[in-house]
Amino acid sequence: MATDTVPGSSQRLDKDTRETLVKVVRHAVLLTWSLVVIFPFYWLASMSLKPPGEANALPPDWIFLPTVYNYIQLVQQSEFVTAFANSLLMVSASVVLVLLIGVPAAYVLSRYDIPMERDVLVWILSSRMLPPIAVVLPFFIIFRELNLFDTRIGMVLMYVSINLSLVVWVMKAFFDGIPETLEEAARVDGATRFQGFRKVVLPAAKPGIFSVAIISFIFAWIELLFGLVLTSFKAVPVTLFVYSFIGSRSIEWGMLAAASMAMILPVVVFLIAVNKYLAAGLSFGVVIKE
Amino acid sequence: MAGITIDDVTKEFGEGEESIVAVDDVSLDITDGEFVVFVGPSGSGKSTLMRIVAGLETQTAGDVHIGDTLVNQLGPRARDIAMVFQNYALYPNMTVEENMSFGLKMSTEMSDDEIEQKVRSAAEMMDIDMLLDNTPGELSGGQQQRVALGRAIVRDPNVFLMDEPLSNLDAKLRTEMRTEINRLQSELGVTTLYVTHDQTEAMTMGDRLVVLNHGDLQQVGTPLECFYRPANRFVAGFLGSPSMNFFDGTVEGGTLRADGFDYDLTERMQSAVGNRNALALGARPEDIRLHDRANSNHEFEAVVDVVEPMGSISYVYLRAKAQEREETFVVETDGQRPITEGEHVYVEIPDEDVHLFDAETGETIHQRQLDEQAEVALEERLHAVNSE
Repeated sequence: MATDTVPGSSQRLDKDTRETLVKVVRHAVLLTWSLVVIFPFYWLASMSLKPPGEANALPPDWIFLPTVYNYIQLVQQSEFVTAFANSLLMVSASVVLVLLIGVPAAYVLSRYDIPMERDVLVWILSSRMLPPIAVVLPFFIIFRELNLFDTRIGMVLMYVSINLSLVVWVMKAFFDGIPETLEEAARVDGATRFQGFRKVVLPAAKPGIFSVAIISFIFAWIELLFGLVLTSFKAVPVTLFVYSFIGSRSIEWGMLAAASMAMILPVVVFLIAVNKYLAAGLSFGVVIKE
Repeated sequence: MAGITIDDVTKEFGEGEESIVAVDDVSLDITDGEFVVFVGPSGSGKSTLMRIVAGLETQTAGDVHIGDTLVNQLGPRARDIAMVFQNYALYPNMTVEENMSFGLKMSTEMSDDEIEQKVRSAAEMMDIDMLLDNTPGELSGGQQQRVALGRAIVRDPNVFLMDEPLSNLDAKLRTEMRTEINRLQSELGVTTLYVTHDQTEAMTMGDRLVVLNHGDLQQVGTPLECFYRPANRFVAGFLGSPSMNFFDGTVEGGTLRADGFDYDLTERMQSAVGNRNALALGARPEDIRLHDRANSNHEFEAVVDVVEPMGSISYVYLRAKAQEREETFVVETDGQRPITEGEHVYVEIPDEDVHLFDAETGETIHQRQLDEQAEVALEERLHAVNSE
């Protein structure tokens, strides 16, 4: 009889065995993926803890005596400390500024009838359409003419220009998802339009705001090209400093690794600090009107 | 508390040739403490009209008074109104208590203690006092609805505006909340505007109905008045479920020739018809009777198309035997009456239950008769409303 011969063997496994098998495979896949993701970090971290000369040994020494020699060397270089502080200051300022400009702009684009709204949005996005390398020279000339070359303010403005379109686009979509009836309820409840925005809409948009803040921070923090062209001494970002360990004749692997680790730190700290808002999700107490 | 006067209000969206008239020259007097239901299909302008009263939309022309105040130029916050939205619009980042106290904090100078006390008593009234520390996301739909109502009543406003507040609830809760809102409204005695497309809510809730279609006022009256004395074909068809049946036909010498049957008009009907040629005859499903054999002149043979048993009653969809078009009409019968698809029956449309409508304008030209007592009661109420 056909029905007896056809079914594959997997169907013969009882339900418990099948579930266990699925679990094992799932864990194996996840574990492998975790290793793939974590390995570069491990590599970098271990390299930064090796004494000079051992850092780039091939095959690597899997067992070694960790030393903080590279880190001490790093901190003793005043250029590094300056560049690190510079970057932290410039990037943080740019994130605050880009949110101050971008979030209200996104709100207005979402809520008000703007003539040629679509065109305005594309125009904002167009600031990111050209590859950075294509605009770096115009940037350089403009910065020189406006006396912004090698200034922190100049760098902040440059970071804002990189991130503004992202903030506007993401936040516009976010505000679109917040029902307008929320503000209407607030206005009926006695709030002005601005109070409705500040007390009702803005808190509801918090997860979105923190998301774009993190992404903006990262984009600015890892920026290298513009920093290379637009600074020379005073406003040098930390990325440039890290890059300086890659010399034309040799690469200081240990120092490079230690500086890289130091660069990762602020991003991780920032992520942990706002993680709660990201995870909070969007539990609106409302249903979308059909 | 205050009444509302709407004078020649028109609202157009867009400009020039692409403009859409959402509300077309509507005038309305709503007395203090009245519960008025705006009803109509979607796109009828009922929500727009309410939003104009709320100040969330600005009318293109016309005046709105709340009490004695002309509110045309006032924003929502200056109108002393409270509104309940279809999606509740609870502030997601605030607790229930903060949601309810927000309005008082924004619009009054009350002390925190006073506000807390008011919120508490409103919460007890709505039976949500145990939810005060929760956020809206943690509540069920029914609970959110109660919070939304609580947020409105705590304000103690001049006017309640409710925009389809029950349409996101399941059927059982909806019935429950309908009663609850009725109770609240009569307890508080606050002038209430209520927008709905649900004709059950329209029939059961309001003191008066305002029936709208395409932005035009169709009829204003008590629910029963609108049901038994519809001003036109639209109102007749909109109220009642299933809808009234309409049979289009032409008049030839005192007889209406409809598709599939002839109907002899009574003398009263004939005089109402005058020299009109094209008519629509309207009869509600519950008024049409089915017989196994012919025994009077207002009967015609029909074939059963579909039977929908509802329990105590059944809805029978029929087609006249001589009918050319595919359309069916529906008749309500006793649920215990055995009737099957394909069966031949005789359909009687009693004289006294017939409405006649002008085929072109849709205007009612003849109303059904009512029981004598009902007639008197209805006339009295009509009179009372008009004299107000």
